[in-house]
Amino acid sequence: MTQLIKAKAGKITPAMKFVAENEGVRPEVIRSEVEAGRIVIPKNKQRKVKFSQGFGKGLRTKVNTSVGLYRDYTDIQTELKKVNLAVSLGTDAVMDLSKDGDIDSARREVLKATELPVGTLPIYQAAKESQEKTESILNMTVDDIFKIVEKQAEDGVDFMGIHAGLRLEVLERLKFEGRVEGLVSHGGQILAGWMLHNQQENPFYKEYDRLLEIAKRYDVTLSLADTFRPGAISDSLDRAQIQELIILGELVDQGRDYGVQMMVKGPGHVPLDQIKSTIQLQKELCHDAPYFVFGPLVTDLATGEDDINSAIGGAFAAAAGADFLCYVTPVEHLDFPTEEDIRDGVMAAKIAAQVGDLSKGREEAWRKEEKMAKARKELNWEAEINLSLNPENAKQVREGRNPAGSDGCAMCGEYCAIKVVDGYLN
Amino acid sequence: MTQMIKAQEGIITEEMLEVANTEEVSAEVIREGVAKGEIVIPANINRKDRGYVAIGTGLRTKVNASIGASKDYPDMEREKEKLQAALDAGADAIMDLSTGGNIDQIRINTLEIADVPVGTVPIYQAGIKSIDKYGSVVEMEAEDIFDEIERQAEAGVDFMAIHCGMTLEVLERLKNEGRVTDVVSRGGGFLTGWMLHHQKENPLYTQYDRVLEIAKKHDVTLSLGDGIRPGAVVDSLDRAQVQGLLVTGELVQRAREAGVQAMVEGPGHVPLDHIETTIQVQKELCHDAPFFVLGMLVTDIAAGYDHIVAAIGGAKATWAGADFVCYVTPAEHLGLPAKEDIKQGVIAARMATHAGDIAKYGSKASKLDTKMAEARVKEDWQEQAKLAINQEKVLAKSKGVKKEETRVMDEKAEPMELVANYLQG
Repeated sequence: MTQLIKAKAGKITPAMKFVAENEGVRPEVIRSEVEAGRIVIPKNKQRKVKFSQGFGKGLRTKVNTSVGLYRDYTDIQTELKKVNLAVSLGTDAVMDLSKDGDIDSARREVLKATELPVGTLPIYQAAKESQEKTESILNMTVDDIFKIVEKQAEDGVDFMGIHAGLRLEVLERLKFEGRVEGLVSHGGQILAGWMLHNQQENPFYKEYDRLLEIAKRYDVTLSLADTFRPGAISDSLDRAQIQELIILGELVDQGRDYGVQMMVKGPGHVPLDQIKSTIQLQKELCHDAPYFVFGPLVTDLATGEDDINSAIGGAFAAAAGADFLCYVTPVEHLDFPTEEDIRDGVMAAKIAAQVGDLSKGREEAWRKEEKMAKARKELNWEAEINLSLNPENAKQVREGRNPAGSDGCAMCGEYCAIKVVDGYLN
Repeated sequence: MTQMIKAQEGIITEEMLEVANTEEVSAEVIREGVAKGEIVIPANINRKDRGYVAIGTGLRTKVNASIGASKDYPDMEREKEKLQAALDAGADAIMDLSTGGNIDQIRINTLEIADVPVGTVPIYQAGIKSIDKYGSVVEMEAEDIFDEIERQAEAGVDFMAIHCGMTLEVLERLKNEGRVTDVVSRGGGFLTGWMLHHQKENPLYTQYDRVLEIAKKHDVTLSLGDGIRPGAVVDSLDRAQVQGLLVTGELVQRAREAGVQAMVEGPGHVPLDHIETTIQVQKELCHDAPFFVLGMLVTDIAAGYDHIVAAIGGAKATWAGADFVCYVTPAEHLGLPAKEDIKQGVIAARMATHAGDIAKYGSKASKLDTKMAEARVKEDWQEQAKLAINQEKVLAKSKGVKKEETRVMDEKAEPMELVANYLQG
């Protein structure tokens, strides 16, 4: 039984209680939102951890950190260090997107390393194993794909990115309209290439029930991937993207009817003035399924600085109703992220989530702002540092930008407005 | 004669021609904007051999980098390095906010080295001199302030932040409303202290005509300071702030009548969902004067990352109509920014204004983004580096990569090619 089925049966589970307590809402609210599909609690039955995380309506905006083995970077310990760092900085979920190396071990170690929800993209492993066995990704069979999904579910993966909305008809629409950047979703490319080569429909679509059956058995939350997300802001909101979103909406309904928890992934590259529409359209077409967006990036000129770029888009997206932000590191479009890049990426996404939560009117978010304002007014440096999203960094900057032992601030020194005025006003 | 007076007389100046050229609009559009006061070209007549930048309606949104020495860090060479870092990163204007070291010489250096408009806040130096002379900021004489403005105007400063709208009426409203952070503007703070100490109205308000006279003589663009801006998102859009803006709107009107170019400074700390209103109210109350915002900062709990916070707010502000965005560095609220903070601040602000300009102006502003997308498809790293707002990191990457290599390295290229062929076929 999944959280969704239990919620439908009127049952408040320990996971729902946990989320309710964490978020400061009543357990019944969580139950009814899970029942409606507006909240998901990705928690595989195989995972014996106490912690539960909710995503969706009325909850704090969450942040995801993606790690994983890739090409020459196949050291599991390095990736685990990144996981630990991301957790210490306050990530709310982790995705293991390993594409190379010992994928099974990497996943199992990540699941051991954190109590947070862990997600994967099973198609990566299916492709890699096919490549190894047959020297081509294109030779993988439908059974191969589902076996990987099953194996990962059995290991305890809490949510899976699945490209079920990829259909040949959408590909045709894409071709007809034209786009600067065709398909940029890596999993989507693998599947699309496979479909074109084998002249077959997408197995995740054609045999969707098979997928739902596995997801239901383990209570894996499906994160319907947006294969057709644009790869450039000039491609945003085109017909292929919207066509897929319509299909994803239908798949959300089917998944919910089956008792499977569903969320939807979103772009990507979206100019500022299209973010609100993008979110609203997803919410409408997918009947308020929690929305998990990648960034979004609001310009394509910020190579090397895409963490900041995505903070801009992420804040707007969260304010418009996105529930879950996938971080973007400064080396997106450039390189494989190091620990330092992970730090920058997580912090940028955390800032965006806080800004979005202020717009969503979350009291807890506003209380933090008020405390900080008071600390600043009182020139209480210790409090200011501790109230910061990353106290360690705030402390470091403060120490590096003031003379040693200073208890003031080198910006204004004795000319501090707060000091000058305070004597007269109060 | 100021640019504005000439524009009102129908004259298209050299400065107007130059900015029309960079902005890719007709000179007449610039002239008309300057005549109405919706565009300013900060260009002190005493400053020669420099570039011109226009700020206002219909133009690319500009980025200002504020630098300057302080008592704790008075070194002049350090200031030159900071200035160079800001210029290299692509700042459209520089404000020299020095409050320590050899302030006069630092300003001279800045005016010499920078090829962009340079701004100052004269009351800082007036206040510091007052401390030396009388032992306190609040003992300063009104004459001291005007002397300082005149001196800096003669030195060639292109725009000055002057807090003329900080009046007793505004302070009364502040007291009535109550606020967490009271006054956080340094200039606003000096004047507030002065007014409360002397129980007198702000001389920059009562003798505003004198300010206008100096500005007109040297064509200094006034940047009417928002001394009463909130210092925390929880204080945003309170009655004191809006009162200050209202008074400032009247001062804009008087400046225009005197032929003086004027823009308006804005906050500061503004939650994301207050930004549109903040900008719209300014544009209405100040009759579309160019709006120069600080940040804006959309949360207060990210100390150490305020350049990112400002990028979020700056993007929204730009979209909503802000014309000029003052950068914020990662050292904001913590200390005096170093060279690397300045670079990061400028780059974050440039990203924000560019993203905002795309929303504001549509595909006209996103041509380079489309080129970047094309370069990414072609895996053309040189082109990507050329187009990137910060080239450095892309260049580092592009040096190590040849196109053939990326193909060979990617074992999964097979399906990608199938898809690409299908889409092209």
